[in-house]
Amino acid sequence: MSNAKERKHAKKMRNQPTNVTLSSGFVADRGTKYHNGGGRHFHQAQKQEPFPGTSRQRQTKMTHHSPVDPDVKEQSSSKIMFKKKGGWKAGPEGMSQEIPKYITASTFAQARAAEISAMLKAVTQKSSNSLVFQTLPRHMRRRAMSHNVKRLPRRLREIAQKEAEKAVHQKKEHSKNKCHKARRCHKNRVLEFNRRQKKNIWLETHIWHAKRFHMVKKWGYCLGERPTVKSHRACYRAMTNRCLLQDLSYYCCLELKGKEEEILKALSPMCSIDAGLTFAAVHCLSGKCQGSVLLYRANRYPREMLGPVTFIWKSERTPSHTSESRQLWIWLHPMLKQDILEELKAACQCVEPIKPTICTPGPLLTTSEEKSQTELPDEKIGKKRKRKDDGENAKPVKKVIGDGTRDPHQPSSWISAATGIIISDLTMEMNRLRLIGPLSHSILTEALKAASVQTEGEDTEKTPHHWWIETCKNPDSVSLHHRQEAIFELLGGITSPAEIPSGTILGLTVGDPRINLPPKRSKVLPNPEKCQDNEKVRQLLLEGVPVDCAHSFIWNQAICKNVTENKISDQDLNRRRSELLVPGSQLVLGPQESKIPILLIQQPGKVTGDDRRGWGSGWDILFPKGWGMAFWIPFIYRGARVGGLKESVMHSQYKRSPDIPGDFPDCPAGVVFAEEQAKNLLEKYKRRPPAKRPNYVKLGTLAPFCCPWEQLAQEWESRVQAQEEPSVASSPSGEDSDSRRDKLPCAPTPENTDLWSDEGGTSLSSCSEPREAMDTECPARVGTEWVACQDATGSLLCVLRSRKWLKQLSTWCGPSSRDKRAARRASGSGEPAPTRAACLPLLERFPRALVWVSLALLRKGSPEPHSMICVPTEEDFLRLRQDQLYCGPQESKHSDPFKSEIRKQKERKKVEKRQNKQAPTEREGLAGGPPAAGHQALTLGLWSGPLPGVTSHCSRVLLGFVTQGDFSMAVGGGEALGFVSLTGLLDMLSTQPAAERGLVLLRAPASPQYRFARIAVEV
Amino acid sequence: MAENREPRGAVEAELDPVEYTLRKRLPHRLPRRPNDIYVNMKTDFKAQLARCQKLLDGGARGQNSCSEIYIHGLGLAINRAINIALQLQAGSFGSLQVAANTSTVELVDELEPETDAREPLTRIRNNSAIHIRVFRVAPK
Repeated sequence: MSNAKERKHAKKMRNQPTNVTLSSGFVADRGTKYHNGGGRHFHQAQKQEPFPGTSRQRQTKMTHHSPVDPDVKEQSSSKIMFKKKGGWKAGPEGMSQEIPKYITASTFAQARAAEISAMLKAVTQKSSNSLVFQTLPRHMRRRAMSHNVKRLPRRLREIAQKEAEKAVHQKKEHSKNKCHKARRCHKNRVLEFNRRQKKNIWLETHIWHAKRFHMVKKWGYCLGERPTVKSHRACYRAMTNRCLLQDLSYYCCLELKGKEEEILKALSPMCSIDAGLTFAAVHCLSGKCQGSVLLYRANRYPREMLGPVTFIWKSERTPSHTSESRQLWIWLHPMLKQDILEELKAACQCVEPIKPTICTPGPLLTTSEEKSQTELPDEKIGKKRKRKDDGENAKPVKKVIGDGTRDPHQPSSWISAATGIIISDLTMEMNRLRLIGPLSHSILTEALKAASVQTEGEDTEKTPHHWWIETCKNPDSVSLHHRQEAIFELLGGITSPAEIPSGTILGLTVGDPRINLPPKRSKVLPNPEKCQDNEKVRQLLLEGVPVDCAHSFIWNQAICKNVTENKISDQDLNRRRSELLVPGSQLVLGPQESKIPILLIQQPGKVTGDDRRGWGSGWDILFPKGWGMAFWIPFIYRGARVGGLKESVMHSQYKRSPDIPGDFPDCPAGVVFAEEQAKNLLEKYKRRPPAKRPNYVKLGTLAPFCCPWEQLAQEWESRVQAQEEPSVASSPSGEDSDSRRDKLPCAPTPENTDLWSDEGGTSLSSCSEPREAMDTECPARVGTEWVACQDATGSLLCVLRSRKWLKQLSTWCGPSSRDKRAARRASGSGEPAPTRAACLPLLERFPRALVWVSLALLRKGSPEPHSMICVPTEEDFLRLRQDQLYCGPQESKHSDPFKSEIRKQKERKKVEKRQNKQAPTEREGLAGGPPAAGHQALTLGLWSGPLPGVTSHCSRVLLGFVTQGDFSMAVGGGEALGFVSLTGLLDMLSTQPAAERGLVLLRAPASPQYRFARIAVEV
Repeated sequence: MAENREPRGAVEAELDPVEYTLRKRLPHRLPRRPNDIYVNMKTDFKAQLARCQKLLDGGARGQNSCSEIYIHGLGLAINRAINIALQLQAGSFGSLQVAANTSTVELVDELEPETDAREPLTRIRNNSAIHIRVFRVAPK
C-alpha cells in the first residue's frame, strides 16, 4: 500500500478513539491488555505466556518508553490499527479469533472505560475538516448559514462563532493588507506585475494571453500553451484560409557586429555546406533574404549538433565598401541559446564582457540612470497628465519592458580583441509576431500605415521623434521610404505569402498602429481592386524586394530605444480620442505621432515534398520592445486568430518540418526536452490505477515514453554486421556473393577514409571563392577527425542532414504506385533498388545515424507520438496484396515477467507489515527501508531495468520511432513524422520488392495493431 | 519582361541539378468570390461536381443560389473542368449554358542554389488555363 494512503489513514484516525489509548498506567501491562482489548493478538500473547521473563522484560522496556513521547505512541498505535485493518481483509490465517479463557475484571473494565471516554471525547470534538454548518443534514441547512451564525441551531452556534472568527483571522493574514480597490489601482498593479515577472519573463502580451490561454512556464518564460476555447480546428482553418497570429517574442536574438570576413571566418566551422546553405550564401549576405542554417560545434560537423537557427544580415546601404562593419542577427529558440551563445563566444574568441552600462540599453541600465531616463519622457507626458489630475505628482512606476529577470550587472555583450567582433544578446529587446496564412497580407496592409514624411524642422534634440525628422531631411532616405511604402502597398494585392520569394525581407517605418484602430473587431477581406496593378506585382513576385528596401532603422539600437521611450501611453491616446470634436472621427496626432521602424520577414511555408506547397507561409514582423500590445490589438481587430505553443507544433507538423527542441535528438536541448517529456508522461501514467492503464510490458512496448535512439542505432549496426557474417561464411546463393564483395571495405580502413576525403574535396571544390581556401583544408581535417571519431566518440548519435545523401535516399525510398510521374522519373534516372554497394559509402560515414522521415498511413488509423515504426515481413505483403482492405497484422500478447515479481514484493511487504505489527517498535526501523526502495523501481505495466534488444523484441523488427503524429487535417488522414535508423532503412529498402518499397508498419505504444504506412524522405 | 527573359536563356544553359534545386511556387491567384471554383486533380471528381451543383441550386428552398458560376482549371485540370461543366449542363435539362474562355497563366519556378556562391533564380513557365462560365438561361 502506498505511503500516501497510509498517511491519509493516519490523518483520519488522528482524532479517533483507539482502544490502545490508555493513560501511562495502562501501558505498563500492555501484554495483558492484548488479552482483553484486542482479540487479535491473543494468540501471540498466549504463546508468550510460558516465558514470563521475556514478557517482563518487555514490560519494563515499555515503561521506559512510554513517558518519552506521547505523540509517537499515538502515531504508532494508529498504525497498529491500520495494519490490523489490512490484516483483517487479506489474511485468513491471522484471524484466529478464539474466546479468551479468562478475563481480569478490573483491567477489562478499565480498558472499556478508556474507550468510552475516548469515544465521548471524539463525539464532542469535530473531527472533519468541514465547517459546522456543512455537517448538518441537508434538511436543516439554511440559506446564508456560513454568513449568519443565527441561522444555525442554537447548540452549534458557539462552535460556528469560533469558526467564523478563525476564518476572518486567516483571511486577514492572507490578504495583501490592501483592499480590492487599492490592489486594482494601476500603480499597485504594475508593481505587482513587476514583482511577478521577476522569475519568469513575461511577454508584452502576457496579460492578454493569461486571460485567454492556458499558460505554462517554459524555458524561463510564461507562455500561452493553447487557447481556453475549443479551437484546434479553427486554428487550422485560420492557418489555411485566414490568418493565425502568434507572439514569438520569446525567441532569442544574438547580434554579431564586426567585419564581414571575420564573422564569416569565425562562423564557418560551425556549419557545413553539406547540410545546406551557410551564413555566406550570397543572397543572404546581401541582406535581401533571411537564411536558415544548422549549427554544429566547431569542426564537428556530422555530430554534436547545436540546433537550427535563422539569421539576417543587415543590408549595406552603400555596396561600395563591403568590408565595413556588418551586423548579423541570429534568431534561435530559447532552449538552444545557452549552448549556441557559448559556442559562438568560443568561435569568435569573444571573452571580454562589455560593461552593461556602456553599450546596451533598456533594463540593463543601473538604477540611477534608469531614473533619469524615466524622467525624460515624463516631462512631456506629465504636463498633459497634470491638466487632468493636478494634485498627483507621484512618479509613475515604470513598467518592466523587456527582460525582467536579467541581473542588471550581468554582461550581455562580449568583445574580442583579436577579431573585433562584438556579440551581444538582444533577447527581449525586440518583439516578434508571426502571421500565418493567406490573409496576413490584407491584415498587414490594413493595420499598418507607412509613416508620413515629416519635413517641418522643429526644435531638434528635444522633440520626441527627432530621428525621423533628421531622416526626412535626407532626400535619399525619403525616396527609399516611398519605395518601401509602395512595395508594402503592393503586398495587399497578393493573395498568398507563398507567392513571394521565400525569406524576403522588407524594412519599413510605420505610424502608430493604434490610431486607425477600427471601433469594432472585424474581418478584413482581400481587396480585389488592389489586385489589378499587374506589372509591378509581377516584378515583385519574380525578383523579390530590392536589396535597399530591406533597410530598416530597427538595426539602430539608439533609434529603437528612442522609439520605446517616446511611446504615447494608451491612456493619453484615448483621452485625445475622447477630446475629438466629432466622436469616432480619425485622430490626427501630426508630428507627435510615433514612427516605428519595423522589419517584415517572409516565412516560407511547406517547402519540402510535392503536395501542399507553400502551406503555412506567412510573415514575421519585428519591432522595438514596448510596442507589443500596440501592434497586437490592431492585428486581432482585423480578424487574426491567436494560437499558442500547441498551434506552433501543429504548424510544424503539417509543414512536415521538425519541431524545434523536440525533433532534434542529437542536440543537447533535444535530449533535455525528451527527458522532461518522459518524466511528465511517466507521472501521468502512474496517476492512473494499474487496471485502467495499458500494460506496456504485455503490449511489447519497451519504451513508451522516450525513444532509445542510441540503442536503436547501435543494435541495427550490429544486426546488419551479424547478418552479413553468417551469410559470408555459409551460403552459396547469388545475393551473398554481392554481400561478400561488400563486406571487404566494411571496416574503417585508412584507404577508405582517404577515398572519402577525396570525394569530399571534389564535391566541395565547386564552393564559393572566399570559402575555397578553408574548404580545401577542411575535408582533410574532417577525414582525419572522422577516424578519431570512430574510435573515441563513435557511439555518439547523429542525424543524417547531408543534402546530397538525403536526396539520394528520397529517390530510393521508392516510386509509389500512386504517383506515376514520380515512378517514371525514378525509373528514368536509373534509380533501382538501393544495392548494398550503393549504400556502402553512406553507411561507412554514418554507421549510427538517424534519418528524418515522414509517414503517411495507407488506410485508417492516426499515429501517436512514440509510435513504433517497424519492418513488415513477407507474409504481411502477401496478405496486403490479396486483400486490399487488410489493415495490418497484430502483435501477440507478451508475458509480463515483472508481474509475479511485483506480486511477490507485495506479499513480502505484507508479511513485513504483519511482523511490524507484532513487534511494532523493534522492527519498524529495520524493515522500513529496503522493500520501499524495491517497490519504487517496479511499476506495473512498465519495463524496468535496462531494456533488452529493442529491435527484435516484437514480432516485427523495429526501425524507428514517431516523434510527432496525429490525424492531419491538411491531408485528411493519419500522418506522422519521426526518425528511423539509417542502417535499418537501407537494409529494409534493399530487401523489399519494388512495388512495395517504402512500406512500413506503424504501431501505437498502447495498441497491438500494426498499420501500413508509406515512408518518405523529403528534401 | 525583356530583362526577365534574358537571364532565362543563360540559366537554362548552366542549370545543373547539383547546383540548384527546383521548387515550384504557387500560381498567382486573384481573391476568390463565392462563385469561383478552382478545380484540382486531388479532390474526388464527384465531390467537385456536387459542389458546383450545390452552388447553382442554392439552399433547401433555392435561396442563395448563384445564377452563374465560374469554373477554373489549370494545366492537367483543364480536362476535368470541362468535364464538370458539361456534366452540369447535361444534368440541367437545358436550363444551364456554358461559355468557355482560355488563357495563359505564368507560373514561377524557383531555383534554389545548393552552393553559397550562387544567387537563387526564377524561371517563368507558361501553362494554359480555362475559365468556364456556367449560367442559367430562362427555359423557353
